[in-house]
Amino acid sequence: MKKIARRSVEHWTNSDVFLSDIDFLVIGGGLVGAASAWHLASAGTKVWLCEQASPGHGASGQNAGSLHFQIERRFLEREDGVGREGEQTAQLSRLAVQDWRDLERQIGRNLGVHMEGGLMVAHSAQEVRLLETKAAREQAMGLAVETIDRAQVQALAPYLSPDILAANFMADEGHADARIIAPAFADAAQSAGARLLDATRVASLQKRGALFEARLEKGEEIQTVTAAKVLICAGIWSPQIAAMAGLHLPLFPAPLTMNATARTAAFLPYLIQHVGRRLSIKQTAAGNLLIGGGWPSRLHRTGSGFDFSRAPALVPQSLTGNLQTAVETMPVIGEHELLRSWTGITAVTQDQLPVAGEFPSLPGLFCAAGGSAFTLGPTFARLVADQMLERRRDEADALLSVASPARFESLNGFMGR
Amino acid sequence: MTDNAETSYDVLIVGGGPAGQAAALELAAVGARCAVIDEQARPGGQILRQPPVSFAAQNWVDENSYRPLRQQLRVFENQAAIAWLGRRSVIGLQPGPQGHSLTTSGADGLQELSAAHVLIAAGCYDMPYPAPGWTLPGAMGAGAMQTLLKAQGIVTGEPIVFAGTHPLMLLIAAQISRAGGKVAEVAFDRSLATIGKSMIRHCATALRNGSLLGEAGKAMMDLRRAGVPVRFGRPLQEITGADRVTGAVFGEADHPETTPCGSIGLCYGFLPQSDLPRQAGLSVRWSSPSGGWATCHDQWMQSSVEGVWVAGETTGVAGAPIARDEGRIAGLGIAAALGLITNRDATRRAAPFRQSRKAAMRFAAMLDDIAAPKQALDRVAASNTTICRCEKVSASAVRETLGSTTDVNAVKRITRCGMGLCQGRNCEHMLIRMSAAAEGRGLETMKGFTGRFPARPVSIADLLEKPLP
Repeated sequence: MKKIARRSVEHWTNSDVFLSDIDFLVIGGGLVGAASAWHLASAGTKVWLCEQASPGHGASGQNAGSLHFQIERRFLEREDGVGREGEQTAQLSRLAVQDWRDLERQIGRNLGVHMEGGLMVAHSAQEVRLLETKAAREQAMGLAVETIDRAQVQALAPYLSPDILAANFMADEGHADARIIAPAFADAAQSAGARLLDATRVASLQKRGALFEARLEKGEEIQTVTAAKVLICAGIWSPQIAAMAGLHLPLFPAPLTMNATARTAAFLPYLIQHVGRRLSIKQTAAGNLLIGGGWPSRLHRTGSGFDFSRAPALVPQSLTGNLQTAVETMPVIGEHELLRSWTGITAVTQDQLPVAGEFPSLPGLFCAAGGSAFTLGPTFARLVADQMLERRRDEADALLSVASPARFESLNGFMGR
Repeated sequence: MTDNAETSYDVLIVGGGPAGQAAALELAAVGARCAVIDEQARPGGQILRQPPVSFAAQNWVDENSYRPLRQQLRVFENQAAIAWLGRRSVIGLQPGPQGHSLTTSGADGLQELSAAHVLIAAGCYDMPYPAPGWTLPGAMGAGAMQTLLKAQGIVTGEPIVFAGTHPLMLLIAAQISRAGGKVAEVAFDRSLATIGKSMIRHCATALRNGSLLGEAGKAMMDLRRAGVPVRFGRPLQEITGADRVTGAVFGEADHPETTPCGSIGLCYGFLPQSDLPRQAGLSVRWSSPSGGWATCHDQWMQSSVEGVWVAGETTGVAGAPIARDEGRIAGLGIAAALGLITNRDATRRAAPFRQSRKAAMRFAAMLDDIAAPKQALDRVAASNTTICRCEKVSASAVRETLGSTTDVNAVKRITRCGMGLCQGRNCEHMLIRMSAAAEGRGLETMKGFTGRFPARPVSIADLLEKPLP
């Protein structure tokens, strides 16, 4: 293997590493993978981005593209309420706001970013109290969220139901175009020198000495590559990849439902969410209304488990439940035509917190997956890339501590390699 | 047939054309409770599209070749045991181990139906041919023109030009001419010599099907007699007009010849209706050479999903006689699956239909060969024409994206090609052909768009008024 001269990476490399074919192997061409590859390649390192289909094929291209920075409904549902994790996530959200504001300029590509504000609405007095508590916590954490009353809601968004009693407004919220974001980052990564291997699967991944060796398959073509460090950001496929390296990465599939209406004239600049119900509504630049919010679909099953290769089946109750909630929040939705309902699989952890960072039991192996990876994706990509490059490492470690895979050490301690 | 308000049947048949009728008749004869659902008010399918009952239609599809189909239609309409559910679109099919559920959408909103067996006999549609100018009012599928004539007695803007590769346009042009419409020209894309070569390749079949070919020959004679030029080797370059069609430009780029016209019927072949089979997860295959997705089936016309059956053009566009045979075979297969007849009986009774289907398949293969649209499609694939009319995506935008990925679903996400109101019914076939060519792959290895609910756009208020079960 030939020795490759590098510019900016001396401070993390060691003599063994110089024997690797490439510096970094990024597994998974979604938003996080493509953006990480862009950061890593921009630092002058040799990066391969391996994607089993095409960039954005998985959850990054299937989700509804919300940029939501208020504390999520699913965290409010937890018995212990918004805990320390919530505050740390809020800190990441603050960074994410800055990241999204500057992304299009940084990569020089249109990502359909619209940050014109988000409203999280309430229908009942109890929900209003929840909004107020939440806003107080968010303000304390440095998120600019304010509770507005029915009249203010109507003034801001007259198309919302008069039954909405209040809303939490955050000016930074909005949406980006999930269709194009991963391909745009993959394109930027390639311009920065990364190599994209599409339609390529990882057949094996193991650590040999100080290096990682991966076998990559594209149809009949098979190649083996060694890398100094590896990032697993393959969404719901991440646990399978981690298992190749002999590690537990306990992520669970969450098969969800999204809906799109036919195009209509622009009227909705905001992201609409509900504090007590599963709902997100936004209008794309093309004019379609996207309606989602975490309604379940049904995974297909194989003899031994779930089948991630097939789109989950639509659950009729989710479809009508989602649309009913949308109409109760924004009655005008009823006048529109449903164009398409689709399903996709995101990955969540048991504690609902994302995973991003290095595995303590297998140094050099990093992961970034598990929930909120659209809104927080660019930030995870930036911080994990910093960790991999040993660039402002302490700062990145501190910011990602809430998401560190160190919390799986109790499981990985049992794993011999 | 009778109007009916039941919601549960032994068999639900989607499509009241020759295949659906034939299956329903076989099933009704052995006592199965079946209903036929159709988007049209009256049965007949596209080939026997009926005018409204209040119309006094004279000489309605009175050509000889329609006779057996008209006879079947009459029997079907008089069979009281068959429930007729007209003017409804099937927007969803959820197969299940305990039976299948079907969602229909009509003027009264949504309806939920269930049955142990579902037969999809949804027919085909004109292949959208995106010649520059194809989105102008007055440019349409030749089949659509024929439908306007059959169902409404309407002749589109005159004079009319027909352009394409498929010989069916001769028959349509002759029908329109006979009905008093002025036809300016029938222009075959391919040369007579190329077409002749196809016929020679299939000469045994050509001889055996003399009467059908004779009909095309007669149509040509009728047209000539009416002074309508039928020309060969006339590739369509462009449809011109400012806000509606005013002309068709033929020939090579350096010798363009314009035929002035008020409307143009494009006839480059037909694509199987595949929204419902794909949404329900049935296995499909690329239907060469005309394209589109044909649903796979076994020898009894059962699809890859148990209890879901297919017949007619849904399985590949091959014409009404084959559709009828397939409908009969499917009907007998379903009757046997329901235990209403023995397998042996089904086998015995299906034998003659298999025989005639096999013979007709050879003729269909010859027609496919004659009508092969590849050259004509390659021409538009290399142009800057709009291929996705809903989202206004050009062939050049697609070509540019194909440089970075040839995954059709990725190209769709990046360009929006296929994301509009028609959900790819117009453009998917072009995108797949362009992607296969860019990658140097065979079309049979390509994957298409992911089929999703609803098969047709549906009002959200309707959906909520009558929620799915």
